[in-house]
Amino acid sequence: MQAIKRKFATTLMMAAFATTPVAKAVAPRPLTLYTTTHPAMGTEFTLYLYSADAAVAAETSEEVFDEVDRVEQLLSNYRDSSELSRINQNAAASPVTTDPEMLDFLTQSEHWSSASDGAFDITVGRLMKAWGFYRHSGRIPPEEELRQLRAATGWEKVQLDPAARTVHFTLPGVELDPGGIGKGFAVDAAVRILRAQHVVAAMFSAGSSTLYALGAPPHLAGWRVVVPGPLPSHDSLSVITLRDTSLSSANCSEKNFTVAGHLYCHIMDPRTMRPVEGRIQVSIVDPSATASDALSNVIFVETPGQSVETLKKYAPEARALIVSGDAGHPHCTMFHWGVAIDSKRCSL
Amino acid sequence: MNRRDFLQSASAAALASTTIARAATPAVKPVRLGVIGAGSRGQEDLRQFLRVPGVSVEAICDIYPPRYEQVNRLAGKQVPATANHHELLARTDLDAILIASPVSLHAEHVIATAKTGRAIYGEKALGFTVEDNHNILAEVTRHKVLFQIGHEYRYAAWAQEAIRRVHAGDIGTPTHIYAYWHRNGDWRRAVPQPDPEGKLEHLINWRLYRETSGGLGTELGSHHIDMANWVFGEQPQSVIGTNSICRYHDGRTVGDNVQAVFSYSQGRRLVFSSITDNAKQGCELWIYGTEGSVQITIEDATFYYEKKRSNAPSADKADSKTVIERGVVTGASYSTAGEMPYRGPGEKVVTATSEDPTLAAVRSFTEAVRGEREIFADVHCGFRAAIACAVAHDAVFEENKMAIPGMRG
Repeated sequence: MQAIKRKFATTLMMAAFATTPVAKAVAPRPLTLYTTTHPAMGTEFTLYLYSADAAVAAETSEEVFDEVDRVEQLLSNYRDSSELSRINQNAAASPVTTDPEMLDFLTQSEHWSSASDGAFDITVGRLMKAWGFYRHSGRIPPEEELRQLRAATGWEKVQLDPAARTVHFTLPGVELDPGGIGKGFAVDAAVRILRAQHVVAAMFSAGSSTLYALGAPPHLAGWRVVVPGPLPSHDSLSVITLRDTSLSSANCSEKNFTVAGHLYCHIMDPRTMRPVEGRIQVSIVDPSATASDALSNVIFVETPGQSVETLKKYAPEARALIVSGDAGHPHCTMFHWGVAIDSKRCSL
Repeated sequence: MNRRDFLQSASAAALASTTIARAATPAVKPVRLGVIGAGSRGQEDLRQFLRVPGVSVEAICDIYPPRYEQVNRLAGKQVPATANHHELLARTDLDAILIASPVSLHAEHVIATAKTGRAIYGEKALGFTVEDNHNILAEVTRHKVLFQIGHEYRYAAWAQEAIRRVHAGDIGTPTHIYAYWHRNGDWRRAVPQPDPEGKLEHLINWRLYRETSGGLGTELGSHHIDMANWVFGEQPQSVIGTNSICRYHDGRTVGDNVQAVFSYSQGRRLVFSSITDNAKQGCELWIYGTEGSVQITIEDATFYYEKKRSNAPSADKADSKTVIERGVVTGASYSTAGEMPYRGPGEKVVTATSEDPTLAAVRSFTEAVRGEREIFADVHCGFRAAIACAVAHDAVFEENKMAIPGMRG
C-alpha cells in the first residue's frame, strides 16, 4: 500500500524507561519493555510492549502483526487478490458485495470526505499514479490528462449500500487508494488485539505516520512523543504526552519531487487535482487512529482556518498542530493542542 | 444469551434476515449460515462468506466466549451464540453450516450436522483419525448432504489453469511433487493470562498437542496432499516420515518440523516438508514432469521447461567431417553448467481473475447450496487427503512405512 502522504518522524522518548521495573510491592514480576518490528503496508510497524513475560510478549506481538497483515490483505492496492483490488476491478460494472469490516472502512472514508467537502478523498488512486507517486517517479501530468482524470475522481462516485453490504462506482475508471486512512485503520485493529490480551501499556506505530499510545509506561502519566520542528532543523517543536489515544502526522519532506526549482508534495488536493501548496506539516491527536489518519490529510489540504472549522464541527475533542508557510517562515496554528510549542521555530 | 433466548432468537432472526436479504439482493436466494468453531480460521472463512451476495450469519457455536464478540464485530451485528453445537443445529433458520472446529472434533460436528440434512462447508482436514474419516464419509454419503471441504487451492484460478495444463501434458508426465510449507514462527497463539491449569493453553493452542492435532503434516500438509491427489488422480498408497522438536521446546507434543514422503502408483512421489524456524522457502508446491515443472504458490503459478535435447542426425554438416578427419578430444570434460538450478522468470500463468481462493471456494459452495452448480472439492476429495494425513500423523512418530487405506466398499 502506498501512503498518500509521507509522514515526518515522531520520536518516542522512551530510552529512560526501557527496562523500568514496576515497584515490587505493586507487582511480583517486573514489567519489561519489548520492542518488535514488522514490515507491512510499505512501511515498518513497531510495537513497544510492556510485559512481565517474554514469551507472552512474543505471542502478543505475533498476533498483532498477524492482524496488520490481515488488514493489509484487505486494503492493499498493490495486491491483485486483496478485497480492495476486487472492488476496484468490479465495482464499476455492478455492485460488489463485501464484508462488514470493508464496508465500515469505506463508510469512515466517506464520512471524512463528506465532512471535509472532498479535501480527503479515497478515490485519488489514479491521480496519485498520474503524478508519479505510485512508483516513486514524480512527473507533472498534462492538463488534458488531469481533465480526463477528474471524471474518474471524486468520493461521490462511490455508492455504499449498508443494508446490502455493497459498493458501486457510478462511473468507470474510479480507483480507490487507501493510503490516507489505511494505516490508521490497521493501527485501530491492532490495538483491539492488545486490549483483548489485557495489555496495559504499549505504543504501536505505523512507520511515523500514525501511532497509538495504550495506557502508560510504569510510573508515568503517558507516552511522550516529540513533534519535530519544520525543516531543515527537525529539532523539537513540541512534546506531547499521550494515553489511550492516537497521533497522526503528515508532511511532504520525505516524499516529493522538484521541477524547475519548485517542490511538488505527494499530498494531493483532490479538488484541484494538484499537490498541496503552503503546508509544511501537521499533527493531530484523536482517540481513533482511523480518524486521526484521515484528519491529518484533511488539515494538510485545508487552510488552517478551514481546518479549525472542520475540527470544531466534526472532531471537537481532537488536538491539532498545523505548520504552514515555508521552511524559512513557518507559521503554527493550534487546535486544543494543550502543550507549549517552541515559538522561536514557528510563529503563532 | 441463555439456551432459551438462543433458540427463541431463531425465528425472529430468520424473518429479519430473509427480509433484509430479499430487499437488498432480490436476484439471489438467501443463504443463512451457522458456524461451529469461530476461531481464527472460522472467522476468516466467515469473512469471505459475507462477501458473497445473499449470505448472512445467523448463529455461532464456540466454547470460548471471547469469540462471540469477535464474530459480532466481524458480522456487524449481534449474532446468537452458544457453546453447544446441538443447540445450534436445533435452529430452524439455518441453510448451511460452516464447521471450523479443531480437527479432532470434526467427526462429531460433521456427523451431527449431516443428520440434520444441511449443507456443510467443512474445514480441512476432513477427519482426525482413520476411523473418523471413514465414519464422516459414510454419514455424509448416507444422508446425501452437500459437503465441500476447505481445500481452497482447488478454487484458485491459477492453480486450476496450471493443473489443467499439467493434465494436458504440458510438462510431460508428472512424476514427482515437492511441497514446502516453511515458516518462521512458533505457531503459537497468545493465551490470556493467568492460565494456571493450562486449560486455555490447550483450548487455544490445540494445534500443538498430539491428542488434538495432526501437527504440521495435517494442518498445513493436507492442502499439498490434496494437490498431489489432484495431479496424480488418486490418493497415496503409503507414507514414510519423521518429525522432531528442533527449536520450540515449550511443551508441545507435535513436531516443529515434519518431513514425509507419500507413495503413489507407478513409483510417483509427493515429498512434503514443513519447518517453522526459516521461511525462505515459504509455501509452494513444485510439480516435476519429464518435460518441465510448474511452481504453484498461494498467489500464482509459473511454468519452467526442461532444456531441449536434439537427437536429430547431422551427417552432412561440415563439423561432422572435421570430426572424421581430426577425431574428437576426450577427457574429464564434464560440464556442471547443466546442473545449475533454473534461472529466469519462467512463464507465469495468466488468468482472468486473481480472486482470493477462499472467497472463490465459499462462493462456489454458496452457488451449490442454491442448486446452481456441483461441488468440486467434495467429501471424497476431503477423504483422500485426510486419510493420508491421519496415517502420516502416526508415521512421522513411528518412522516406519505405513499403508494408507482406501475408501471402504
